[in-house]
Amino acid sequence: MSALLPLMVALPLGAAALAVIFGRWRRLQWVIAVVTIGLTLAMAVVILIEVDHDGTLRANLGGWPGRIAISMVADRLAAIMLVLGAAMLFAVLIYALGQEGVDARSPWYVPAYLVLSAGISAAFLAGDLFNLFVAFEILLMASYVLITMEGNDAQIRAGTTYVVINVVESLLLFLAVGLTFAATGTLSMSVLPERIAGLPVGVAIGLNMMLLLAFGLKAAVFPLFSWLPDSYPAALSPVSAVFAGLLTKVGVYAMIRTETLLFPGGQRTLLLVIAGITMVIGGLGALAQVDMKRILSFHIVSQIGYMVAGLALGGVAALAATVFFVIHQIPTKTALFLVEGIVENDTGTSALDRVGGLARRSGLFAVLFLIPALSLAGIPPFSGFVAKVGIIEAGFSGADWVIVGVALLASLLTLVSMVKIWTGVFWGDPQPHPRGRVGLVRHHRVMGGVTAVTVAACLAIAIAAGPIWDFCERTASQLVSTQDYGKEGSR
Amino acid sequence: MPILLLVIVPFVVAAAVLAPGGRVGRGAFWVAALTMAGVLAVLLAGAPGILDGEVDQESLTWVGDLGLTLAFRVDGFGLFMAVIVSGIGLLVFTYSSAYFRGHHGGASRPDVGRIAGLLLAFGASMLGLVLANGFFTLFLFWELTSVTSFLLIGIDDRRVAARAAAQRALLVTGLGGLALLAGLVLLGQQSGTTTLSGLIANPPDGTITTVALVLVLTGAFAKSAQFPFHFWLPGAMAAPTPVSAYLHSATMVKAGIVLIARLAPAFATVGPWRPLVVGAGAASLLLGGFRALREQDAKLALAHGTVSQLGLLVILVGIGEPELTYAGTAMILAHALFKAALFLVVGIVDHQTNTRDMRRLAGLGRLLPGLAVIGGLAALSMAAVIPTFGFVAKEAGLHGLLELEGMGAGTVALVAVVLGSVLTVAYSVRIFDGVFLRGVATSTATGVRMEPAPIDPARVHHPRPTFLVSPAVLAALSVLFGLAAARVGEVIAEVAGSLDPKSADKHLVLWPGLGPALGISVATWVVGAATAEVLRRRSRGRDPRPVAATRVYAWCFDGLMRGARRVTGVVQSGSLPVYLGVILLTLLAGLGYGAAKGFPDWTDLPFADSGVEIVLAIATGALALAVIGARRRFTSALLVGGSGYGLALLFLAYGAPDLAVTQFLVETLIIVMFFLVLQHLPDRFRPPPSWAPKALRIGLSVAVGVMVTVFALAVTAGREAPSAGSDYVERSLDEAGGKNVVNVTLVDFRGFDTLGEITVLGVAAIGVVNLVGVARREQRRKRLLDGIDLSDPEALDSADRDARRRFRSIVLSTTSRGLAPMLAVVAVYVAARGHNAPGGGFAGGLILAAAVVLGYLAEGRRSFSPRRASPLLLVGVGLGIAVAVAVTPLLFGGTLLESAIWKVHPPVIGEVKLVSSALFDLGVMVLVTGVVLSALAAFVREPSDDAGASGSALEGAPGDPSREGVSG
Amino acid sequence: MSVVVALLVGVLASVGTWLILQHTLTRVVLGLGLFANAANLLVLAAGGPPAEAPIIGRDGPFNDPVPQALVLTSIVIGLAVITFLLAVAYRSWTIDGNDQVEDDIEDRRLAAEERARKGTRG
Repeated sequence: MSALLPLMVALPLGAAALAVIFGRWRRLQWVIAVVTIGLTLAMAVVILIEVDHDGTLRANLGGWPGRIAISMVADRLAAIMLVLGAAMLFAVLIYALGQEGVDARSPWYVPAYLVLSAGISAAFLAGDLFNLFVAFEILLMASYVLITMEGNDAQIRAGTTYVVINVVESLLLFLAVGLTFAATGTLSMSVLPERIAGLPVGVAIGLNMMLLLAFGLKAAVFPLFSWLPDSYPAALSPVSAVFAGLLTKVGVYAMIRTETLLFPGGQRTLLLVIAGITMVIGGLGALAQVDMKRILSFHIVSQIGYMVAGLALGGVAALAATVFFVIHQIPTKTALFLVEGIVENDTGTSALDRVGGLARRSGLFAVLFLIPALSLAGIPPFSGFVAKVGIIEAGFSGADWVIVGVALLASLLTLVSMVKIWTGVFWGDPQPHPRGRVGLVRHHRVMGGVTAVTVAACLAIAIAAGPIWDFCERTASQLVSTQDYGKEGSR
Repeated sequence: MPILLLVIVPFVVAAAVLAPGGRVGRGAFWVAALTMAGVLAVLLAGAPGILDGEVDQESLTWVGDLGLTLAFRVDGFGLFMAVIVSGIGLLVFTYSSAYFRGHHGGASRPDVGRIAGLLLAFGASMLGLVLANGFFTLFLFWELTSVTSFLLIGIDDRRVAARAAAQRALLVTGLGGLALLAGLVLLGQQSGTTTLSGLIANPPDGTITTVALVLVLTGAFAKSAQFPFHFWLPGAMAAPTPVSAYLHSATMVKAGIVLIARLAPAFATVGPWRPLVVGAGAASLLLGGFRALREQDAKLALAHGTVSQLGLLVILVGIGEPELTYAGTAMILAHALFKAALFLVVGIVDHQTNTRDMRRLAGLGRLLPGLAVIGGLAALSMAAVIPTFGFVAKEAGLHGLLELEGMGAGTVALVAVVLGSVLTVAYSVRIFDGVFLRGVATSTATGVRMEPAPIDPARVHHPRPTFLVSPAVLAALSVLFGLAAARVGEVIAEVAGSLDPKSADKHLVLWPGLGPALGISVATWVVGAATAEVLRRRSRGRDPRPVAATRVYAWCFDGLMRGARRVTGVVQSGSLPVYLGVILLTLLAGLGYGAAKGFPDWTDLPFADSGVEIVLAIATGALALAVIGARRRFTSALLVGGSGYGLALLFLAYGAPDLAVTQFLVETLIIVMFFLVLQHLPDRFRPPPSWAPKALRIGLSVAVGVMVTVFALAVTAGREAPSAGSDYVERSLDEAGGKNVVNVTLVDFRGFDTLGEITVLGVAAIGVVNLVGVARREQRRKRLLDGIDLSDPEALDSADRDARRRFRSIVLSTTSRGLAPMLAVVAVYVAARGHNAPGGGFAGGLILAAAVVLGYLAEGRRSFSPRRASPLLLVGVGLGIAVAVAVTPLLFGGTLLESAIWKVHPPVIGEVKLVSSALFDLGVMVLVTGVVLSALAAFVREPSDDAGASGSALEGAPGDPSREGVSG
Repeated sequence: MSVVVALLVGVLASVGTWLILQHTLTRVVLGLGLFANAANLLVLAAGGPPAEAPIIGRDGPFNDPVPQALVLTSIVIGLAVITFLLAVAYRSWTIDGNDQVEDDIEDRRLAAEERARKGTRG
């Protein structure tokens, strides 16, 4: 079984190699991609089931003993992230297939996309700090290529910001990892905890800070978020959908690992403050925007705040809430960007004042937006509500009144800006545009279909919230018992 | 009683009605009406049992650990409310099918199907809300009513006013919802239960509970349009009249009342409860009344009347005295009846005359007598005139209030109710008078203003009887229940009893007998009527200004938006250097925090390890510092490169030959690429636009340097644990079959990192080819559009030409034909020996690439790739080999990158060790070669690019690798 | 790690930072390069004092091979990043004839509106 872990990375890489070799045959490229990512999705599901039943999976690469080998570890958190990641990558891949002019697109889209998926899986599976860094590099470089895929003015401007910021992040991460090794003499995340515990407090905090800075930058928390809303909107809509759904969550994942495994309970207050400000600033930023894609981008930031809040509150309940929040957030956010993609594809813009009356054109399409939007605002009975309640309960039971208050206000801000999108894009006078008045979903069959499926997934999460929540609690308790991390078969 | 079905079935039907979109006509209303009829039937069937005090419960767990369960409970009050919801729903739906009928048959508007579906969905939500017992269940349906209400208010989404009103309503109720949610969660944690019944059974106390109750009340007030949240309700009148009648008078706005009614018996005595309910209720009661007296639009006047009436209800059910709870329950029924009736009547007026402006509606009573009678009866009940049910309920209320002695809140309440009743009578008279009799006097002032023209009696259509049924029924009930007060009172007693057992023995009477209560009523009639008349006399008939609270809301909302823009303007400067500055500051803060917690002492570290080190360090540092002063791009690049070479030497001194080699090769390659790219860019740097004062930037830079240094020293000094490196050294030769531990580490112990690393390299090459390809295609397109003959070298801008010249001067001058093949040999050698001595696939690849480049140059060509294939193929192949080698062991049950060692004994040479990981290194070498070639080929350009490809530049699929190969 | 090396790291980092904070992409790239060099040197030096190259057969003590491996990886990744950024610089030149790092338009617009609004409010 543990052989599946390296395959989650090796398979897409091999496929990428093929996609490069067969760069001239687009169709073949896409077939390769669909098959590969489909396979990784299947493998991820198998891994998840395996891990949930029989405990943590571990693969020591090169057959070396755990101390010195690079090891890949799949505990519950890693496994669920793998599934979500693969699922979203698969959905968006199909979605991209449905876009017009897909054949005219650069032959390097598919290889970059495959490498991205490899990098994401590698990051979730990394049981070795430096390998985590390498995984980040893989997915980052792939994302650089994807975000500048069309190389137009906007993408170059946005791309420059995105690349430079993330390169700085990589440098800091490399420093942090290198120094961690220098201080502890190991990179294995199952050995690190006790070594770190033995460090002089100042050094430990310094390392913790550097890691938090690097991962926080990727997760786009305050005050390190500003690059995100500037860069994501410029990318192709399927690209920004993947970025929005997944990349920031990789950062969150790494933050969770750092704070639960390496530096347990280290920076509670700091994280709480960061979380609160992130929620509000993100919400306010969204209010100030007049473009659907930018509003949604700011919301990524705001929502990250909730996840960090749960992480900061600590304890099984709060961590479970965070995990649930991530599970809910990835498909929901992706769905919203997919909807945005259809709007942009159809009307050629996502500026609120240049689109309108879409609800009249297609009720179904309006529903496809409304469900994830309400879910994001934490309106029952959608998944976002469960996540919100989880955070609130945790906050109240810990008597952290402030963060709960902030969280509630932030969710009102979310509601306001979702209403802003709704009234701007779906209500009002329909704008005259080339394609006439055909129903959007009917007009964009594939994209609409994928979006519908994603939204259905969001609903499924809401319906199955009970069992999922139980899973989240199992995950959280696993996160809390740090000494078990990486132990084969540990529950 | 199948509660879940009662709630779910209507939702399903609603979905079914909404699904087909615009293709559903007015028939949808009949479907909805039937659904509601069914619900009503079930409820009435179960009624006797419930009224005898039995209680039905059903629940369905959703997320147990968070206390999220669908818990329903039907007691007397629940049944009572459910009957109101479904009954009025039934009437409104039947009414709607006529209301939305165009004057010439058919539907008056295309989206009636949507309206019907949403209305039904709302009805279902409302049923769920009144039958809810679990906290979460209550909140769920609470929010659902808000959402459906939002969609219904904004149904005419082309009108700005409608959109704004819908938004206002949703945000206000949404804000209330958040307060409610927080309150409920707190109550849940305080009481340990998650059901209303459980909460009331043993109510918690303490500060937190008090806070929670205030939050809950806030939510209730917002929902029931109580001061200071009352302003959203008039706006909601933007919705079609049936919607207003159902949601915004009869049912949804009662949600808050329901919640208060359920909690009051248990919590009324808690600190701020009574002051709050009486305060908010009284304020709304009076404010609403005043506003109703000033509106010219009949519907708006009614809306303000609703606010006022809701205030009365809040007071009655909120004080928590059995007598008042009882009266309040009766009043809920009375209000639902007469207010719905009046709305429907106004709806008919609007439908037949196309106006609701009371300044235009004079003498409609003569044209539509039947309608006038219906409206009159309802208005009487609203004014609480004997013998209507409104009177009966109001009497009970007054009686109860008079009973309260020695309660401050009670006295305030009494005064408020009396004044409020006067106002109520006054606006009841005014509205009836305005719509059916004399109209509202238009401005007596000089006719400067354009007067609204009175309606033309000839053009008033007579409503078909079916249109009148619903309001007629409601009005009739308002009177019948009054006449049958005693009988109805018994039922109400049962209902109120389920809220507060002590109110189970109360009665309703039609004739209260001479007493203070009756006296007050009579007084209110007289004074009220007089007030109406007086006001009519001196009425200016001008359009009233919007409610003050609306303006407050607008101010807050704009403030929020402005604040958002301002904050965003600050944090989101959009300037990359600023972002980087922030990041670095954060870094400083973090490390500073660590330092504050105390770094280990590092003063005993050596100043230098050797003299060489000092020299090299100074050289490297100096070259780097010199970059700051450099104004020319080439100079800066050279200086950085030089500093890089210095570093390479330092690595060597440290005992890291592999690093030294790699660093050296990489720096060289980077310099070459820089030159290739920089030849396009302007020679000198522009003076940078300063995003921050120079001092700040210098300070930041220095601070970063210092902080990093100190932290580095601290880390080194603090080190104790043994390194994993020692294991590598031990195992390298015997188990991994390599002498050069670093190389073995790269291809074996930590081969996975290397796999990732070359992937990064490969993808970077892809990105480069892609971007440059885009640029090239664009230029070709430009050229074609400019109609320049591409075969003519003169047409190429001079930049290209001296670019080529520079390039030749850089590379060609240092080459000769012999060098290339020699280098190739060296490359292979370096790669091969890598496993046992400094070198390896990466170094080999770089050298091999250099060899190829020189080869091409020596042949005088300037494209490093064969015409048909891109060097990216090599990248693909290299990555392929590496992955294949890595994965193969998995096929034999090993793990990824597990290495195998074969010993072969060819003659002469003797024993040779072959290590599978060497193959891995081969992959690395191929890939690196491909990357370097791609990059160089991309950055060097020659006229033949454009000439060769121009023909097919436009129609040819962009980014076709064959062309990438040539051009990029 | 010796103080001299530490100081060198500091210098490289400072200069790198200074360059990164410029508006010209070329300089930013060079800055990143210097910063990367600083990081590499730091990681290597923090790994242990100068010693014999870790090649079996030579007589130790050996310099720790792990930091060397890490730095090697980082050098290669650095190369990849710089190559890509150069391509970006090139593309940016083909768009507007220079490699200035432009501000985000939307943010500028918003900020400008704010300033205007303040202006009108006096």
